[in-house]
Formats: sequence, structure tokens, C-alpha cells
Amino acid sequence: MKRAATASGVLFAAFFLFAGLGAPVRAQDAKIFQFALQNGLSVLVVPDHRAPVVTQMLWYRVGAMDDPPGLSGLAHFFEHMMFRGTASTPGDQFARTVARNGGEDNAFTTHDYTAFYEQIAKDRLRLVMGLDADRMANLDLSDSSVRTERDIVLEERRMRIDNDPQSLMREQVEAALHLSHPYGRPVIGWPEEVHRIGRLEAQSFYTRHYAPNNAILVVAGDVTPDEVRMDAEATYAKVPARELVPRAEYAQPPRLGDTKLTVTRDDVKVPLFLRVYRAPSYTEAKPGEAESLDVLAQLLGGDPTSTLYRELVVKRKLASDAGASYSGYARDAGEFEVYAVPRPGAKMDVIEHAIDAILKQYASAAPRTGDIDRAKTQLVADAVYRRDNLLELASAYGQALAIGLTADDVHEWPARIRAVTGDAIRDAAEKDLIPRESVTGYLLPGKKQ
Amino acid sequence: MIRDLLHSGRFTTKNTKDDCARKVLSFLRVLGGRITTPRRRASACNLFFAALPVLIFQGGAQALEVKTLSAPKGEEIWYVSDHTLPMIAVTAALPAGSAYDPSGKYGIANFAAELLDEGAGAMKSGAFQTALSNRAIRLSVTTDRDYLIVSLVTLSGNAKDAFDLLGQALSHPRFDGDAVARVRAQILNTISNQDQDPEDVAQKAFLRSWFHDDSYGHPIEGTAQSLDTIEAADLKHFAATHWVSRGLKIAVAGDVDESRLTELIKSAFGSLPASAPRIAALGNNPGGPKLSVTDMSVPQSVAVFGLPGILRSDPDYLPAYIANYILGGGDFASRLTSELRVKRGLTYDVSTSLETWRKSGLVMGDVATKRSSTKQAIAAIHDVLRDFAQNGPTEAELADAKTYLTGSWPLAFSSNTDIAEQLGIFERQGLAVDYIRNRNALINAVTLDQVRHAAKRLFNPAKLSVAVAGGVGKAPAAPNGAADAAAP
Repeated sequence: MKRAATASGVLFAAFFLFAGLGAPVRAQDAKIFQFALQNGLSVLVVPDHRAPVVTQMLWYRVGAMDDPPGLSGLAHFFEHMMFRGTASTPGDQFARTVARNGGEDNAFTTHDYTAFYEQIAKDRLRLVMGLDADRMANLDLSDSSVRTERDIVLEERRMRIDNDPQSLMREQVEAALHLSHPYGRPVIGWPEEVHRIGRLEAQSFYTRHYAPNNAILVVAGDVTPDEVRMDAEATYAKVPARELVPRAEYAQPPRLGDTKLTVTRDDVKVPLFLRVYRAPSYTEAKPGEAESLDVLAQLLGGDPTSTLYRELVVKRKLASDAGASYSGYARDAGEFEVYAVPRPGAKMDVIEHAIDAILKQYASAAPRTGDIDRAKTQLVADAVYRRDNLLELASAYGQALAIGLTADDVHEWPARIRAVTGDAIRDAAEKDLIPRESVTGYLLPGKKQ
Repeated sequence: MIRDLLHSGRFTTKNTKDDCARKVLSFLRVLGGRITTPRRRASACNLFFAALPVLIFQGGAQALEVKTLSAPKGEEIWYVSDHTLPMIAVTAALPAGSAYDPSGKYGIANFAAELLDEGAGAMKSGAFQTALSNRAIRLSVTTDRDYLIVSLVTLSGNAKDAFDLLGQALSHPRFDGDAVARVRAQILNTISNQDQDPEDVAQKAFLRSWFHDDSYGHPIEGTAQSLDTIEAADLKHFAATHWVSRGLKIAVAGDVDESRLTELIKSAFGSLPASAPRIAALGNNPGGPKLSVTDMSVPQSVAVFGLPGILRSDPDYLPAYIANYILGGGDFASRLTSELRVKRGLTYDVSTSLETWRKSGLVMGDVATKRSSTKQAIAAIHDVLRDFAQNGPTEAELADAKTYLTGSWPLAFSSNTDIAEQLGIFERQGLAVDYIRNRNALINAVTLDQVRHAAKRLFNPAKLSVAVAGGVGKAPAAPNGAADAAAP
């Protein structure tokens, strides 16, 4: 049981008709409600009355792709600064207030968006809305808090990236894949550039991007749309809209050739084969194309019945683990990746040839119907399982809206997955997984290059 | 998937932290701002067994009740029916954790557990996994120190097949040579991954120095050498003697009612033998204060630290739990986070928890910081502990801890998977179902004096033991300009 769960298909449905073999599933009309405040804040409510709790998520349409030149990591750094206090909630009182009221809170940043959330008893919804409305406009940035937080972010980087050869290698692969597009810059930033972030840079980033008309509020849990509207009117509505400078749009330069890179380090004990393709995302793809990539990823490497696992791990014993995943939820390009962990003694080029042969087979003929059905069953069931968790439920909607998709895209996803044909999967394998759109990385133990 | 692969050290303290948030974050390809604290619930021992359903809370639309089923061989079965979603979540704990590993065969409990989906009855590995996959049944295992914890998530329409397959896997495991070899290679790979991760290295060093050769001293995965001695026959014997119904603890939540559940549980667990294995008694060793350093060429050191703890049945447990929340369990509300992270910027993450294993208790914590500030971070932890042990928390800190611990109670019951997981924790802690009714009142009844007493008893820095992986001096040559680089 070393295999990881499938990582494809972040979006999922609130409506299920049926979910696979022998599993008659009742229709679940988890209704959603959408409205907007006068100041431009978009609001989406997903009632779920199982427990007397709510999850509030505030998604800003700003992420690492909006980091100014020379200041990679600023969006993520700023997410940290949002916990550093305002005049009315000074210092670390934001988190302390949430905790004192029995809540959990956190935040995260991607290239495309920054999201903040609290999970708390339903009668505290207005309280946390008030806190988030306050820090949307009244953050108190000081030189000393910026300096300390910069040290914390650099420690975070050491923990997540610098201490981990696999993460370092992935960072190199991403940088090579996206050429000059900011998806190639790490979300956490290059250390030299993180060091350059000061109070002024943080302040101007805040003024430019943090406004109600640049945010999406998602509330899931034991609430009604009217309650959410009243609480939002009493809190967020007080923050005035601001004129927004449009986000920078970046070219995704054509890739004229594939890239191979080998990272050899003496701290590596486990080698890794990793290939990442730049592939169409849900926002770029033709109808059904991104869904085909999701099914393809499941077939190739979604679980131990997948082709990569059966061939490389079970039959040929070249790898101890192998898989694939598709990350299609992005404003610009998506990514499709395949990986394998070579068993001791297995040669990287043998593994690469084996993977290429499998990909070629997918590009030349439609997969077997039984396999396609199994992959679809898995993906559609994932939607049910994710629906169980309020944070995942809210995240599916928040992420979709933050990258420019709609709530309907979330609802219709299972039906679209079911509609994927064998030919569409073959087409996706042939046309979307192109060598020149890929970077292949080898991570090897040895003397540092 | 690669992200999960990268974080495959799932037996570390890190992985106990807010699994739900982690899962979501890993889906979203994101960088979390903070690591949230472990969601461990405080509780107290109460042996009265409730015959009536126990109300967790009155929700917006419905009350959430925990019911119990009586079982022929003394298995504990707690469940919650909720028909909102067409799914069922199950946890089942068997007395088959790593503490049952015989000397010389370290890692056998985990090895056997990892083979749970590798074939059963007439089905070889591929057939069994296809049977699960065709029905989108999620079967997973966690081997902890005391228990093998099996998690099953299924669509309710497939429940019969799901429980049948689990029953086959538990009662008729195959342990085919090919599967054993494959899983052995996978565990060796996990061990190699841990060897390059300073957090895992520090944690293993700490437990080894604390428990030596006792049941809790060796790594759950074993070592390359110990795995070498384990053959299919050993695995078969271990499963036959430890995958048993005595001491079995089952928790279920979701779209199922009592009569159906009774049948399902019979099909999954009805054929297990009733024998009960024992954990070897612990020696008299709890580690003394010491500092060990394992050299690794990493830019950031990890220090795992610990103190003698208490058992879950100890009368001081609840005050100690609250004390730990205030000291290092409570995220931004904790003293350690406030001092080391918020004020000094020494770390992204510092936390402590109470480990309450069946035969031993430990206070364990960890901190990650750049090599050059490792000594400073450890000294700061000493200072925080000293003050806390001497003076205990303030009235205000205790009041805030109580409102957090009682107010966040319903969050632990907001999904089927959360409910099954939370009920399973209470069962494994030896609590009666009635505890759920009393839990918040018990927390509110704890006095400042009791918490001060517990703080003095548990957090004495003179007893602190620390295992560092990395180094305590200057960094090695920076791999990419990242380590300790001076600001330009």
C-alpha cells in the first residue's frame, strides 16, 4: 500500500446521478447560491447542515504569478503578513481570536491565487468575517514584523525545499518547463529575492491586490444564503472597492525542443524519474480535452491497477513506485506528469524507454473499455468522497472561480468525465503530451555536480 | 501523486497534523502558510458504558448521535448514521502495531499491514486491487505503535463488496512471494527516503535513545537488516496471531443503519480468531537528559525533543493535555510558537504533543531551524519550559484554552471520515462512549491549580532530551545559495 491516492480532478460535483459499477447513488442536490456585494465581492454559499459548523474561505485573485520582477515569493510572503495584525486586532491576535472562539484557520498560496480560511462554530461566522474584512483593508505593516516574517519564510523554504532533494529537483524542472512564464518561479521564491522583500514592497503589493472586488468569498456549512448575506453586509460590505490595475499577462513562449536535466547530489538516497509536460489546462482546453487528460492520468498512473504501476512496478520490477497526475486547474498552462522511483540497480534510461513505450501505446489506440470505465468510476467517486469534507467542498468552488471557471463547471464535471471517449483519451495522449512540451528530470545519488 | 510521494514519511510527527488540510493543500498544488496543530482531543477516563445513544451535538437540521453495537467477541463498535451522502467511512484498529514486533523482526507489523491489499482468498494481488478499484473502494492502512488502523471508505451502494473484500483480506491474506518482494522493496524505499529526511532521522534517533530495545524504541518500518530476516511464513504467522477480534475497535459513520451494519461487520470481521496478543513489558529506562547530534549535510536542522509523559488513564491527563495546548499544542496560541516563531523568527514550525501509547507516555516536540541557530532554538525551548514549569499558565491562557478545546469540538464531527477517525481515537484511548457526552464539562471543570501541577510535573527542562539531525554549527556549502545566505 505504498501507492498514493489519485491527485487528479480537484473539481468535483455537487450533483451525482450514479457512480459506477453496482453503485446506485441517490441524487444529491447540494444547492449553491451566488451573489455579489455592492463593492464587488463575489459570494458563493454551499449549505451543508450535517454539523453546526461553517468553513469560510476568502480567495484573492493574486498569486505568485503576480510577484513583481526580482521579488519572487512576495505573494506567499504577503499571505504570511496577513497574520501580523491590524490596529484593532494587533500582533498575533487574529489567530488567537479564532482559536479562543474554537476555530481553526490557515492560508495558502499558489501561482494563481491566495486563499485564507477559518473553520468554526456557525454562530461565529460573523466574527471571522469581521476579522477577514478588517485585514483586507487595515493591515499594519511594520519593518520589524516584515524582517521577522522573512526569516520565517526562509525557514519554511529550507524545510519544504532546501532540505529535500526531490523538491529541489522539481523546482528545477518547473523552472525549465515554463521558460519565462512566472509558473517557472517557485511560489515560495528564490532565497536571494525573498531577502529583498521589505515593508514598502509589501505595502504596495497589498494596495494593489487586496480589495473586495478582487476576492471571492465561499462559505460552506450550516448556514443559509440569507444569513451569509446579512453577515457579509455587516462586515465585508464596509470595505470600499478600489480601482484595480489589471494583472500582468505573460506569454507562454513556444518550446522548440524538449529539455533533459540530471541533478546529482550526495544527499540523495532515493533516485527519481520525473517528467512534466506543459499541457492545456481546464481554462485553455477544448471542451472535453482537460477531462480526457484527467481520465488519461488515472489510467496511466492513478492507482495500483494503472498501466505505469502494473508494467514498471509489478511486471518488470524496475520501480518501487510509479504514477501519473494531471493538474488542470490553472489560469494559464496545466501540467501533466509521470514519475517512477527506480528500484536499486534499475537504469534510468531503461525506465524512460519503458515509460515512452507505454505513452506511445496510449497515443496510438484507445484504451480498453473496462479500464476506461474503472478510471471514470474512480474519478466520479472521488467527487463524492471530497464532498464529505467542507474544506474540500469549499475549495472546489473557490479554486474554480479564482481561475475563471464557473460553479457550473464544478457541477458538470462528473457528467463530463463520464462523456470522455476512448478516442478522446487517445487524442489527448497524442496531441497534449508532446516531447518538446516536456522536461525530463533524473535525480541521482552521487557527487554533487 | 508526486507530492504525496515526496511526503511519504507518513509516520513522522508532521504527518499527524491536520490530515484534512494537508490533503486539500496537496490537491491544490499550493504552499500552505502555516502548519496547523495536531487535532488531538483532550479526554478523561470514564468507564461507565452507555446503553443509550450519545448526543454529540444538535446540528442545524438534525442531532448527531453515537450508537454502539454489542458484539459477540467483545469487539467495540461505535457508529453514527447519516444519510446525507451515499458513502460510508470506517476505521478498525487491531492489536497489531509495531510494539508487537518480535525482537529481530522489527518492521513485521507494518510489513504485514502493507500487504493487506495484495491478494486474499482466491484473488491474487492484481485481481484484488482491480476488485477494489472497479468499485472505487478506498482501503488504506496506518501502522502506529500499538495498533494497525485500517481505513475503509466506500460508496454505500458498494458496501457489501467493500466489507466482504476487507474480510477476505484480514482473514485470508495470501502473502504471495511476488507481492512480498514488491512490498519489501517499497518499504526499503520508504526507509531510504526517511534516511535523507532530517525529521525522520531525528525522530528515530530520539526514540532509540529513549526506549533502547523496548517495544517502542525501533522504527515502525524496521530497518534494512531486520526486513531481511522476515519471510512470507513470518508474515502469515504474525497476521494469524495479531489480526484478531479481541481488542478490535471499530468506528463507522455514514449511510448505513443498524441491521445492515451488523451484517456488514460480520462479513468483514466475523471470521477473525479471538486470541489476544501481548505487548512485551517495558524496561525501566525512560531516557535521561541528553543531546545527540546526527550529522547530515542539510541547510536546516531538525531537533526532536522529549520528556517523560503520562498514560491516558492518569488522573492528571486532562490538565496535562490543557497544559500542552498552552505550551506547544496550540498553534499561534502556544507559548513556543509565540516565542520561537512570532517573536524571534527562528522557525516555521515548533510544536509539542502528548504521546499516550498503551504502555508509555511521552511529551514529544520538534523544531526545524537553520543550522547556525539550532543552539539558540534549543536554548529558547529550555527557557520557555523553565518558566512554564515554574509558573504554569495564566488565568487568561487557561480560559482561552478551554474555549478553544470546547468550542472546536463539533469540527471533529463535521464529515463522515472525521467522525470515524475521531470515534476510533476515543476507542483506542480506552474511553467509554459516554465520554462524548461529558467531555466538554470535564474540560471546563479543570482548575488552574491542576494545570499548574501538571505543568510542573511534565515540563521540567532538567529532564529534556534532544536529538538533532543536521548540525549545530555553520552550514555546509550551500547547495543553491539557500543555506544561511546573508541578505544582499
